[in-house]
Amino acid sequence: MSYQFDFLAVAREAPELAAGLARTVELTAVACIAGLLIGIVGAVCRAWQLRPFNTLFAVYVEMFRNTPFLVQLFFLFFGLPTLGIDIAPDSAAMLAMVINLGAYAVEIIRSGIEATPKGQIEAAQALALKRWQIFLHVVLRPALLRVWPAMTSQVVIVMLGSAVCAQISTEELSYAASLIQSRNFRAFETYFVTAGLYLALALLLRQTLLRGGGRLLKRGRP
Amino acid sequence: MSLVNITGLHKHYGPNHVLKGVDLTVRQGDVVTLIGRSGSGKSTLLRTINGLESFDQGSITLAGQTIGSRDAKALQQLRLQVGMVFQQFNLFPHLTVGENIMMSPRVVKGESPHILREEAHALLAKVGLADKFDAWPDQLSGGQQQRVAIARALAMKPQVLLCDEITSALDPELVNEVLAVVRQLAQEGMTLIMVTHEMRFARDVSNHVVFMHQGKIHEAGHPADLFSRPQTPELQNFVSAVM
Repeated sequence: MSYQFDFLAVAREAPELAAGLARTVELTAVACIAGLLIGIVGAVCRAWQLRPFNTLFAVYVEMFRNTPFLVQLFFLFFGLPTLGIDIAPDSAAMLAMVINLGAYAVEIIRSGIEATPKGQIEAAQALALKRWQIFLHVVLRPALLRVWPAMTSQVVIVMLGSAVCAQISTEELSYAASLIQSRNFRAFETYFVTAGLYLALALLLRQTLLRGGGRLLKRGRP
Repeated sequence: MSLVNITGLHKHYGPNHVLKGVDLTVRQGDVVTLIGRSGSGKSTLLRTINGLESFDQGSITLAGQTIGSRDAKALQQLRLQVGMVFQQFNLFPHLTVGENIMMSPRVVKGESPHILREEAHALLAKVGLADKFDAWPDQLSGGQQQRVAIARALAMKPQVLLCDEITSALDPELVNEVLAVVRQLAQEGMTLIMVTHEMRFARDVSNHVVFMHQGKIHEAGHPADLFSRPQTPELQNFVSAVM
């Protein structure tokens, strides 16, 4: 084999990679926060069987957990303009990620809510708390703590899945990679480095969420 | 004056008729103990008093206010007056001891944190846990957790305190520290309705003992009479089995 590896050719494109990385992080952060909120609201509607919202969320969850992310993305970006709804690539990517993560978050958080010991609810009822007060002050935090590892995994999956957003020209990390390798013809080096960046980001994200989230939810509890 | 008045209470669990017409009057300052075999309906009766169990027929009147079987607003009013302590403590694991005590008066009554803090400290001192304000529930022994649960119930300033087998989940050496707190409450004039298997304690502390059998009040009276001269064969059997 006479191929000469040239990683410097990739290093020269560091600013491009950094910009893509930043966009990936930004998309993931928004998806994480908005997805969590959707998850909490949806999980309450499902767990409490609030009609008609429980049915709406059930349909939403099944639709987005049982179709490919790429198809969801293409539908938003290429499909909706047919109805006169034009969405910029960045917005479409963000929206797709939020909706996708939200669907999984509903089910993850619901399982946490439903695992609340009955005694906790009864104790709160006996203290004259109303239903939503019980949810807010007694159920929510322990439920999130219970499912936080699962929630963290799902955020990491969505972050990695955001690579396909390059297909609609969202300028995130994999878009940067594809751009760079088309300029320097160093596909091996470019994708090798890009894979390394995704790996590092995934590990960092997982640790940050697990520790940070755990700390936030536990508030100094041993 | 009667504080709690229960008349003709019926409850079914599917085909099981678990309360078959219960009448019970509890006056201010009474210490009432419900005894009976498991399945006799004593816990169910206790839990209807603050609406944790619904009922099918009859009525419960608390301080002159009648509570229907399914009336959310009346239930809320009722629960403001009735505190409860559970067998499994049920402290909120994500809140410190102090927060466990302050949470419901803050959330439900909107009382100021400053006053609540003082009251919580006073309540903890009362149950002998003055130094545990910032501790977490899972750092405490069962007996300590149960005493915090009592303090938490008292923080709502209830007129009646329900105790549902509150020493049954405790190691034997921890039972007395909890009973001592209940005894003190009784002496201070707190109205108590308890389900317990601690017969000696029931005899010492209560002024009215109710023996439940097959969903009915089978025999009731002052503990001195009831335990030493049980009238019905069912109570005679029960007393000789447990004492």
